[in-house]
Amino acid sequence: MLDYMIYILTFAVGSILGLVYSYKQHGEPFVAVTKFNVPFAIISIIGWVLGFCSGNIILSAIGFLLAGFVMGERPGYGRKETAVGLIIAIIVYFVLKYSV
Amino acid sequence: MNLMVDILINVVIAFLAGSLLLGLHRKVMARVQKRPGPPIVQHLIHSLKFFFKETAIPRTVSKVFYIGIVFILALIWVVGVIVGPVAHDSLLILFGVYAVYKIVEHNSGSSSGSPYGKLSCVRAVLSAASELPLFAAIVFVYLVTGSMNIGEIISYQSVHGPLVFSIPLAALMFFMLIITKSPYSPFAITKDKVLISGFETEHFGFLRGFMLFSESIAWYVMLWVFLTIFFGPLTAVGYLIGMIVISFITGFINAATPLLSPNHSVMTQITIGAICFFGTILMIFTGVVA
Repeated sequence: MLDYMIYILTFAVGSILGLVYSYKQHGEPFVAVTKFNVPFAIISIIGWVLGFCSGNIILSAIGFLLAGFVMGERPGYGRKETAVGLIIAIIVYFVLKYSV
Repeated sequence: MNLMVDILINVVIAFLAGSLLLGLHRKVMARVQKRPGPPIVQHLIHSLKFFFKETAIPRTVSKVFYIGIVFILALIWVVGVIVGPVAHDSLLILFGVYAVYKIVEHNSGSSSGSPYGKLSCVRAVLSAASELPLFAAIVFVYLVTGSMNIGEIISYQSVHGPLVFSIPLAALMFFMLIITKSPYSPFAITKDKVLISGFETEHFGFLRGFMLFSESIAWYVMLWVFLTIFFGPLTAVGYLIGMIVISFITGFINAATPLLSPNHSVMTQITIGAICFFGTILMIFTGVVA
């Protein structure tokens, strides 16, 4: 259970850091952002893929920290990036599972 | 692993997972109501924030009781974690935990000296109606599996399949309890906004922090127990998906339904409980349940 505790802890810390960071970047009132942020999408993809597929506690923890960072952004930001990261990670997980 | 370490790890997981799930629940409600809603991590941040806020104690409170009750509240849900995810022990103890929780809810309101807390305390007695379906659900699980022990119920399901397929109405009764316990529930008469925050109204600072901590653990424990006794042996991913799905469903239900008045709430709970109870008895006697 220690590994799950580390994952959830890093995810929560990542979310809080993401929230603080995005409020520093965007202080304006709520806007539903339609723009796709490529760097954040890459962070999200790396995060979710590492989290689900690395099979290593430290790498998964780093992955969940990154995934939490993007997902935890203030409302209106990071939604599409998270969805893309999550979908790619699930695809990679199944590809790795059934190709080995 | 050392038992104390195991308990500590499970309590931390319960708190973090419960907080994030309650955050998700609130987010779902907001999206249904076409609001952006707070970030998912907000409930966790709120819980932590209260531990560092100034704690004021009103003059009208019964001080020892008023302070002691929040620790008892936290303690009973830690016991819930120990009995459930850690020890896989008896469902009867978990029923006891829920019963004590109702008493704590009642006494938390009465010790505050506030009219809002006192009214919430009276309603806590009425809301005990949610315990009857819970007890009935546990009895049916016992009748089918022949055991109250969670570990043995899991073993039974690994052989015979998830109990939700054999006693679905008992699962529905348990789900009613989960809806009742979820925030902004149509049955949450103790936390009606007419009563401000109900029995929590007069608890500030770290005392409220303990209450939010307990709420998160309670949500996790109840979802864990529901998934464990009705959906068979699950992996960690299964629990995660199950908990997220239930939080989504309760979020939708709570966003779309108004809070019922106390008498309507109790009657609805008892009516649904009675239908499910007699339905399950009928299923057992007609041989639908093997």
